[in-house]
Amino acid sequence: MKIDVNGKSVDLEKQFTISELLKKMEVKMPDMVSVELNGKIIRKDQYDEMVVKDGDKVEFLYFMGGGNGFFRRTD
Amino acid sequence: MKAETRGIHGGYEESRFLGSSAVPIFSTVSYAHLTAEEIEEVFAGKKPGYIYTRISNPTTSILETRIAELEGGIGCIATSSGMGAISATIMALLKSGEHLVSASGIFGGTISLFDKTLKRFGVDTTFVDSDEAEDFESAVNEKTKAIFIEAIGNPKMNVVDIPGIAEVARKHNIPLILDNTLISPYILKGYESEADIVIHSSTKYINGHGTAMGGLLTDTGRYDWSSGSFDDIRELSKEYRNLAFLVWVRNLIYRDLGCCPSPVNSFFMLQGLETLCFRMEKHVENARRLAKWLEENKDVKWVNYPGLPSSPYYGRVEKLFNGKGGGLLTFGLGSREKAFRFINSLEIAKNLANLGDAKTLVIHPASTIFHEFSDEEREAMGVTEDMIRVSVGIENIEDIIGDFDKAITTAMEE
Repeated sequence: MKIDVNGKSVDLEKQFTISELLKKMEVKMPDMVSVELNGKIIRKDQYDEMVVKDGDKVEFLYFMGGGNGFFRRTD
Repeated sequence: MKAETRGIHGGYEESRFLGSSAVPIFSTVSYAHLTAEEIEEVFAGKKPGYIYTRISNPTTSILETRIAELEGGIGCIATSSGMGAISATIMALLKSGEHLVSASGIFGGTISLFDKTLKRFGVDTTFVDSDEAEDFESAVNEKTKAIFIEAIGNPKMNVVDIPGIAEVARKHNIPLILDNTLISPYILKGYESEADIVIHSSTKYINGHGTAMGGLLTDTGRYDWSSGSFDDIRELSKEYRNLAFLVWVRNLIYRDLGCCPSPVNSFFMLQGLETLCFRMEKHVENARRLAKWLEENKDVKWVNYPGLPSSPYYGRVEKLFNGKGGGLLTFGLGSREKAFRFINSLEIAKNLANLGDAKTLVIHPASTIFHEFSDEEREAMGVTEDMIRVSVGIENIEDIIGDFDKAITTAMEE
């Protein structure tokens, strides 16, 4: 299945929960990332149960020092 | 990563700073850019980069990231003091004609901010003289924009029903602001507190050595700013999503107030964080032992320490803080005169206006921190004439008890 992560298309072999996806994508600082699924904010206590499906759009957003503080980062 | 490890390594990558093992202090006001086009992009928020230390600074950014990770929040902004963090938060959320609900037994400086300074700007505060969620709910009206509480009231030493009050805030779609200074992110992680914004005076336990002033405000990510009660922030959330509150604070309120920390002070906070977990364990253990000793002393009229099994708040301390009642306690010897004689007779404990230091500190709150309030106001805040506030340090507990024993004996002699 294909999902969209921060504007980039990503192939996944199966359905992942948000927690699993954070690990799979090796998202840096997973404890302070803000996660959106199809434009909706996902609370941390939902990470283990919320499943990402084919065609979903996921955004990992960070508040960082410098600039205006707002970043989308997947590296 | 657990808190002990995160406090040492969080938010820092040596490879980005020439391998420097210690976090470098970027003692600079501004940041040079190669071209006019580049600085234009940074100002426009299209490119990451630093502009001016009043807005952000690389050393401070590492502190902010480490705290956000420790709190389990989506971002943190460090300020010049705890009062700076509260001021920036309240001014970001409330405007003239709006209303704040606050706990009553809180830090005198915060009461002064709400009741005196903010009142001049048309912000009205209702102080709730109760620990229960239903009384906080009764104080909420159609103009209420936030609820403010402390994890442990200073110096009332009360523990309000944090999850219950969080539920009230959620029901009314307003954020709960929690000042967690007395408990620290080690004992109560911001996200798990159920509050929406968590404040610290990092001057206290996070710095831990009385060497630098600082404050922190963290968005725990629980409040949905895109459907919240704040028009300006909701509008901003169309572009900045759930980071809208932090962007709003950073790029407007914080920038305009000028409440940025010195990068040197941010370094001191990072150093303090490395040992926070270990110090907190010792503060709690020493406070528990001193409180128990005071409780058993015949000359001591009363002791307030929420970590004592005899405290009415002990159940909440067990439930909310894993049984750890912090390092602050109050007690009375029956009169202001005895309190003064006690303070004047101490040899190890220092008489000063601070808490959370490695050293044991004492103060007579009524004549110092709360001197600007009337007798009636002090009574409402739970500040009695005989109250002595103790910030229990991490010295050997037998030395602290020995110092207190001698000073109490002297205080009772005349």
